[in-house]
Amino acid sequence: MMLQTVVFSGLEFSPLVVYFPIAFALSALTRYVLHRLDWHDRIWKVAWFEVSLFVCYLALTVFLLSGR
Amino acid sequence: MAKSLRITVTVLVVLAAIWAGRWVWNDYMHSPWTRDGRIRADIVTVAPDVSGWVTTLNIANDQPVKKGDLLFSVDQQRYQAALNQSKANTENALYSWQLAKHKYERRTALLSQKAISDEDLEESRISTEIAKANYDLAVAQQAAAQLNLDRTHVFAPVSGHIINLNLRQGNYVGQGASVFAIVQSGSFYVTGYFEETKIPLVRLGQQAKVTLLSGGKPLSGRVVSVGKAIANSNTQSDGQLLPQIQQTFNWVRLSQRIPVDIKLDPIRDDVQLSAGMTATIHLTQ
Repeated sequence: MMLQTVVFSGLEFSPLVVYFPIAFALSALTRYVLHRLDWHDRIWKVAWFEVSLFVCYLALTVFLLSGR
Repeated sequence: MAKSLRITVTVLVVLAAIWAGRWVWNDYMHSPWTRDGRIRADIVTVAPDVSGWVTTLNIANDQPVKKGDLLFSVDQQRYQAALNQSKANTENALYSWQLAKHKYERRTALLSQKAISDEDLEESRISTEIAKANYDLAVAQQAAAQLNLDRTHVFAPVSGHIINLNLRQGNYVGQGASVFAIVQSGSFYVTGYFEETKIPLVRLGQQAKVTLLSGGKPLSGRVVSVGKAIANSNTQSDGQLLPQIQQTFNWVRLSQRIPVDIKLDPIRDDVQLSAGMTATIHLTQ
């Protein structure tokens, strides 16, 4: 799948407007799963962990959806 | 879970994030791609070489035409009359020349009988040359009149599609004034406006992937040229011939856009291309 641009009623947007929500949703999902498994409290510096995970998810989304 | 393991997990994820973030940054900022691409084509403007009323119009807007097809005709009457006049002139000049030649030949014969002076004979010879030059002039004028008459028919200079046809039968068209354009068949190419910071990554012959805003499978092509100049607004002068220098912010500068032409590989028949369409261009590294 390749996503070069997002076109909405004739307006062209950067695909990042899609990538960011996807990465955010993945981060939220991970956070939920970690809570359910009760691992969340065991992570050292949980804020760093979550922000880093979001960046990783974003890069992964860009890599997979841009056809590179 | 041991504390060292907890720390290691977080540190690994942070390191991965640094690496991934750097990759995303490079991918967007330091790879040769642009969203500012336009489809272009060779446009040939059609202008009549003679003035007059349009008597026949054989084309419709957006119609495909082949090279050499009759596009329209301009009223011939004036040019036909001019040609007739030129022909009569030519005939007149021809007879004048024959007459002068005849006189000269006769006078040459008289010279042997010492019945004519050298000066008269020379005058006669020069008169013949003048008549000959007049004849040549008339022939050239006739050729020009014939050319004007022939140019009342306007033929397609290239194969392609008619664009922006506002010409109607009965309109008056002026010599040299363009009346419509033809988009040349198979001449489509893409111009990508790359930021100047990305130009070092662009090289001739580089493979390009062109994605149209209208969607569909990407087109492929190759870089054929990189623009060697763009306009510089600082070179303009005012009414007193003083240079007009634009102010800029020292903190924020916009990079200039340099046009890069990409020749498309043969296009599939199902791809609808129109010059002016928007395209995203990725060049291979």
